[in-house]
Amino acid sequence: MNLQVVFCNYHTSPVAVREKLAFSSPEHLQEAYQELQQAFPHSEIVVLSTCNRVELYAAHEEDRSPSYEELAYFFSEFHDIPVSEFQDNLLSEQGEDAVRHLFRVASSVDSMVLGESQIVNQVKDAYRIAQENNACGILTNTLFQHAIKVSSRVRSETKLSEGRVSVASVAVGDFGKSIFERFEDKTVLVIGAGEMAEETLRYLKEEGARKIIVVNRSTERAEMLAMNWGGEVSPWEHLDDVLKKADIVVSTTGATQPVITEDRYRAIRKSTGERPVFLLDLGAPRDISASVGDIDDNIFLYNIDDLEATCDLNRKSRGREVQKANQIITEETALFMQELHHRATGPVVQRLRSQWHEIREEELRRLFNKLPHLSEEDREQIQNSVGRVINKLLHPPLETLREESHSGTPEGLVTALKKLFHIQD
Amino acid sequence: MANVTVFCFLASYLVSGVMEALRLRGKSSFNKLVLRGFALAGLIAHTIYLFNRSQQTSLPPLLSSTHDWLLVLAWLAIVFYIFLTLFDSDLAIGLFLIPIVLALIGSAYFLQQAPNQLVSQEILIKEARHGWAMLHASLLVLGMAGGLVALVLGMMYLTQHRRLRQKQTMKEGLSLPSLGRIARLNWWSVVISVPLLTLGMAVGVGLGLSTQKGDSPLSFTDPVIVTYGIAWLIMIGFFVWLLTTSRSQDRQTASLSIWIFSFLIISVVVLQIISSKLDISSHGPTQTTTSADPLLKEVSE
Repeated sequence: MNLQVVFCNYHTSPVAVREKLAFSSPEHLQEAYQELQQAFPHSEIVVLSTCNRVELYAAHEEDRSPSYEELAYFFSEFHDIPVSEFQDNLLSEQGEDAVRHLFRVASSVDSMVLGESQIVNQVKDAYRIAQENNACGILTNTLFQHAIKVSSRVRSETKLSEGRVSVASVAVGDFGKSIFERFEDKTVLVIGAGEMAEETLRYLKEEGARKIIVVNRSTERAEMLAMNWGGEVSPWEHLDDVLKKADIVVSTTGATQPVITEDRYRAIRKSTGERPVFLLDLGAPRDISASVGDIDDNIFLYNIDDLEATCDLNRKSRGREVQKANQIITEETALFMQELHHRATGPVVQRLRSQWHEIREEELRRLFNKLPHLSEEDREQIQNSVGRVINKLLHPPLETLREESHSGTPEGLVTALKKLFHIQD
Repeated sequence: MANVTVFCFLASYLVSGVMEALRLRGKSSFNKLVLRGFALAGLIAHTIYLFNRSQQTSLPPLLSSTHDWLLVLAWLAIVFYIFLTLFDSDLAIGLFLIPIVLALIGSAYFLQQAPNQLVSQEILIKEARHGWAMLHASLLVLGMAGGLVALVLGMMYLTQHRRLRQKQTMKEGLSLPSLGRIARLNWWSVVISVPLLTLGMAVGVGLGLSTQKGDSPLSFTDPVIVTYGIAWLIMIGFFVWLLTTSRSQDRQTASLSIWIFSFLIISVVVLQIISSKLDISSHGPTQTTTSADPLLKEVSE
């Protein structure tokens, strides 16, 4: 029985290498499975490809799993890049270490954003796609199902996933939601059309924001952002008018001077009154003068540094949970390996049982032929009694076998059982 | 059950209050379990105590004495607290509400609690007045409970507002509703409690007028009644301001809720304690007559 993983991830390799080894589309992945099945027809394979990692899990019921070199060669052939370009970045783990590696990945202990929830879905997807491509078997099924179970245990027994750790999620989840009861009736104004604006809009949309206005110096980018998120574009010259309507302002321009100054916003507040507004300044340098927050008590202004401080706190809090998570992973890895080793003794145990039961049947048949006067009830009693004797005799060796499985496949005992009881392979 | 004393539930709520305060130090499911357990145990003891008092005086707790009346108010507050925390166990309402409950129960200690034999007998005779007195006390206690909720919501609003202005993260395991939600609930609690208190006052005035032909008519210049009147006028002013002002004045609403309802509750409690100890009110409870309200003594006479 053999299990291994070859992988490159954000720890071991730069993005330039990862993107060369990645399987970027479902079609690409399907093609990879076809080639892997041709190259290693008796192996079970699962490919996990995300933006932060490319991992290939291979398992074989016997010790004929593809070697590291063979898998590296596959990557090279499939992506048409020389092995030398990625060899240093492509690592490998075997057996128990490979199991622990997957459990760490699925539990998000190995993620760039510790405790993020996306990775377990990516692991589930990878497993599902492998099943759809008939690349899974008993070992990979057990391994991935166990990995998903471990992830769920880590999530429920530790605080690894608690607290938001991205600027946009903290802005909306920790602060925006504490200001407004609902977002459906709020007007969101996005100034600038950068990535941060897009990410913040995603969280705002999740909370129910409907009315979105995008203002950007480049109309083309504004239109694209507005189209993606069901918003409308307003010309840059109308910024003051839309600022008057906005309950939430997300500013992410690359301007070198503040776009919203105190004087400008004071004039706007004069006409809007002091209704609560949530101003998110995600620009660097800042787009909104810090003094805007002091105009009145209902202006809630946050810049990147304010939000990063919360992110840092949450990251530290998650970091404190890593030890607990690792403890769970160690326990579960040991349990999985024990089950795996015990599973390896399965065929011998099964043959031993059936051999003894065959003897029982044969001897009982002989006995019942000699004693035809026995009633059905007597026969049943005798059958049960002999069955119990066999089970009691089998119990000590099988129990010893199970205990020995804790520390690996008990090859010696299995061989001894085979020899002692003439068990044929 | 007969041995249940004020100390039993006061101690339970005190433990809950301490556990609530410990939540500020970090999230702990054990802590939550203990504080809920003690709050529930306190509520059970509290209910049994009020039931026993009612049995002893043959009067509903609202009518027997100010001591019992305050305990009913505290009981309502605890029911409200347990009900809310069932839906959101992280809600930090206990930090604000339990100290007030403890203060109410503590104040009840200083008030006369011996049931007035005259009240119980006479009120039963005068069934019509008994009904009005019950309505008067019920409206006042419900209005006060609404005011207490407004006071707590006001404190929660200011805490949340301060956190958001200072850009602080909420403590782990604690949650406060959004400013929008607190403001809406605060508005409704004021809008409901002030009319209830007004109706309670109106019924009280009616009862007072009905005593004028008796042997000891109620004096409307009684210090207790005058203070109630002032508190009521302030609340009416607040109520009118609330209905006419823009909803963006949520912070002022929260601050005013705290000031006005604190004044109302403190003045009611302090005046009852003073009148109980010094007998300054001709209509307040005395060593021999202890009623939930100055008017109730008149009703009995």
